[in-house]
Order: sequence, then C-alpha cells, then structure tokens
Amino acid sequence: MTKVDLRNVSRVYLSQSGPVYGLSGFNLTIKDGEFICVVGPSGCGKSTLLNIVAGFEPPDMGEVLINNKKICGPSTQRFVMFQDHGLFPWLNVTQNITFGLRMTGVSQKECEERAATLLKTVNLTRFATSWIHELSGGMKQRVALARALAMDPEILLMDEPFAALDAQTRDMLHEEVELVWQQTKKTIMFVTHNVREAVRLGTRVILMSAKGGTILKEYPVNLPRNRFLEDVEVVHIASQIRDDLRQEVLKAGEAEADIAT
Amino acid sequence: MQLEQGVKAEISRLRLSATGYKIWRGRAVRLAFFALLLGLWQVVSSLELWSDVIFPPPKEVADALVLGIRDATLTTAIKDSMQRLCIGYGTSLIIGIPLGLLLGRKQLLDDTIGSLAVGFQALPSICWLPLAVLWFGLSETAMQFVIIMGSLMSLILAVRDGVKNIPTLYLRAAPILGATGWRFYRYILFPASLPAIMTGAKLGWSFAWRSLMAAELLYVTSGIGSTLMMGRELHDMALVVAAMIIIIFIGLLTDRLVFRVAEGFVHRRWGVGGGN
Repeated sequence: MTKVDLRNVSRVYLSQSGPVYGLSGFNLTIKDGEFICVVGPSGCGKSTLLNIVAGFEPPDMGEVLINNKKICGPSTQRFVMFQDHGLFPWLNVTQNITFGLRMTGVSQKECEERAATLLKTVNLTRFATSWIHELSGGMKQRVALARALAMDPEILLMDEPFAALDAQTRDMLHEEVELVWQQTKKTIMFVTHNVREAVRLGTRVILMSAKGGTILKEYPVNLPRNRFLEDVEVVHIASQIRDDLRQEVLKAGEAEADIAT
Repeated sequence: MQLEQGVKAEISRLRLSATGYKIWRGRAVRLAFFALLLGLWQVVSSLELWSDVIFPPPKEVADALVLGIRDATLTTAIKDSMQRLCIGYGTSLIIGIPLGLLLGRKQLLDDTIGSLAVGFQALPSICWLPLAVLWFGLSETAMQFVIIMGSLMSLILAVRDGVKNIPTLYLRAAPILGATGWRFYRYILFPASLPAIMTGAKLGWSFAWRSLMAAELLYVTSGIGSTLMMGRELHDMALVVAAMIIIIFIGLLTDRLVFRVAEGFVHRRWGVGGGN
C-alpha cells in the first residue's frame, strides 16, 4: 500500500545568484512500513524534501499525498525528529515526552503510564524529572525519540537526528530506532549525509543529485536485520553509493567552476 | 555503589561550602561598605559645614523614620503607594503580556499597535498627568493611568521581541505535537518567551515605579512621593531623606523578593545560558 506519494513536486528558493531548486519535478512513492533513507551532498534539497512531507513548507508545484489524500500543513500523524532535538527547556523530561499526549486530551494518569514505559524503552528512567539542559546530547535525542514514539505517528520523519552524536551513542540509537521500526512497522523517512548510516538502517536508499533537486539513483537494501555499521555487505553497498556520490559532487563542482569562469 | 554515593555527598558538600563562603563574604563586604558610608555621613554632618536643614544628620533621618512609622504616616503612605502600584502594574501585566504575544505573531497588529507603542514609549508617562486629571478627575484612576502608560509599552515591546526570537524549531514542533489554536499561545508561545517576559516585567516595573513617584510628587495626594513633597514644603529635609530611603528600600526589596525568585525559576529550567 502506498503511504507517501510525491507527484512532480517542485520548490524554488530565490537567492542572490538567481533561483535555486530545492526540489524540481520530484517523484517518489513510499510504501507503508518502508524505511527510506535519503542521502546527498549538502544543499541538494534533502531537508527541503523532509520539510515538504512534514508540511512545514508548501510545494510550489505538484502535490504530496499521504494515504491518497493531499496534505495541507503539518500534522501529528507525521512526526519530525530534528537534528537539534527541539525539546522544550521549560518542561522536564517526562513533561516533554507527554506534551503531545496532553495536547490531544489524554488523561494525566495515562500520560504518566505511557511516559514510564517510554522512559524504560530509551533507558532514561533515572532522568524522568531532569531538565533538558542537564542532559547530554545523546540523552536529549533519546528523549526526542521517546517524544516521537509517544505521539505514535503513522510516519516518522528524521532530519539527521544523530549527526551531532559520538559514535557509541549513535550505534545505540541506531539499534533503538531499528527495534522500534521492527516492532511498530512505521513508515520512516530518514535524512542523513552519512551513507553508511543510511545503508545500515534503510530498506531503500535514495541518492539525490547535487543540483536541481531530483533523484539520481535508488538502492534497495535487502540485508537481514539486525545490521551493524561494520557489516561487510553494508560497507559494500555504501561504497557503491559513495562512489556515485563522489562523481556527483565533482560534477557539481565543475558546474560551479563553469559559472565562475 | 555505597562508596560512589559517599563521594558524591562529599563533593556536593564541598561545593556547597565553597558557594556558601562566597555568598557570606559578599554579604560581609556589602555590609561593611554601607556601614562606612553611614559613618562618613555622620562625620561630615558633625563637622557642621552646612545647617541641618540642608544636610540632615543620620540621627534626624532615623528619628523621622521612627516617628513616621510610629504615628503611621509613613506606613500609610507606603500602603497607598503600593496599592496604586499593584493595581496599575498588575493591569499592565494582564494587558501587556497577551498583547505582546499577539503582536509577536500578527504582523498587522505589530504594524499598528506595535508602532503606536514604540511612539508612546518615547514619551515619559508623567506627561500624561494633565490629560489623566482632566479625564479621570482627581482620582486614583488618574494615578493608575499614568503608571499603566509608563509600564505597558515597554512590557508589550519586550514580550513582542521575545516572541519574535523564539527558535523556529519550537514553532515547528508545536503543530506536530498538536499544539494549535489557543493551545499554541498558552503552551508554546507563553512559556517559550518566558525569559523575555521576565525581562519585560522587570523593565515595566521600574518604569511603573518611576512614573508613580513622579505622579505623586506633582499631584496632591497621599503616598510616599507625596510624603517627600510634604517634607520639602515643611523644610523637613530629614523627612525627605527618610522618604528617599524608603523608596530605595522598596525598589531593592522588590528586586530581591520578586524578580530574583522568578529569574531563578527561569534559570533552573533554561540552564545557565539563559535566553533560549
């Protein structure tokens, strides 16, 4: 079943040197329960893609269908995990996790129960009443993950959520996300610039072109779970993608040089 | 495990005693400094370079304070001033905070009411006194109007700026967490701009306090400002200085009791960085 359907989506930004295409004539279909990873050189429009699916930005042309219905604006059914966590400093860990539940009218008692379960899932029970600034970067992202899981969205959108973390913490969070995906079968769209991370997590990796905001190539990843970043197969696929990516970056560099001369 | 807890307890005890030492040393230095000033004042006035009317000695000022408190003139004056201040400043808070939140979000309101507030902020609120007396008569309302005009504008503008500086991330997190409509204002905008609201409230309070004193000096009424004016008319400079000391004292007390506590609250949650 098709979950997300982007049809001929374009998004243009105006800059000093003329129009820049975030996305142009972009087509993508994501099936229910897929784990899509989007990679590409910086400035290729990965974040634009995520913002448009989230509903933060409207497409200039084309349409985005979720469950065959055109979206208008953000929704609790498409939850975003941000790179900079986006947790609220005026609430403690538990209150942050249950914030969305309270907004949708879930009772205090149920909120507390759900929070306790989720805190256990992300191993933060000891920090239930800590303030956000008291946590380390990895702990903050675990709270953000728990907050996302509390909302129980149909689609989870992740915008380089682990880019700023150390390797050990990232490994742990990869395992947690993989486990959550296996248990809940949510549709996940994961944006990253780390190719190996994309192959380790995704069922399909999408490489975006350096300029012009289109898909350059798609790579199905049919490897068994649970994977590791160091798996030979993961490294193998990642190196293929990286070669294509390198050529793309070089090409983009030449294009830039053309304009410059 | 037990050892670990023992070490933790020891560390926190050391830290506490270190900060405790700093706090007490600071207090002692301040106390000594003010005692020195008081001594200097006593010495200068006992040289009798000027008459007591021009330069009242500490003893006379202390007498004026004691007398004023004993016959309840000073305490009544303080009560009247504080009552005006609470009503006027309270009204400013009730109007100013929601209005500032709205102004930060609605460009149309900002272009209209916002620019009006910027204009009025340039006007010292005491300038409103003649019109206020004309509109509201010789009444408490006239005084409160002057206080409101003094504090409301800076409060509105500070809250508005706070809202405009809220990180986009929080604004994006709001709708996906279901905080829309009034909930967005109550549960996102208000708490997210709390540090700015605190700054605005403090600024508004100091404007309110100054406006009130100016109004009480000019306007025949009760209150601590009027007591100061009465001292002037009676050539009782000891009473004038006593009133000045009370005005300083109330200002400091509010800062310590109200704003320090509120700032501590924000500090604990936002962390040492403050702001956002």
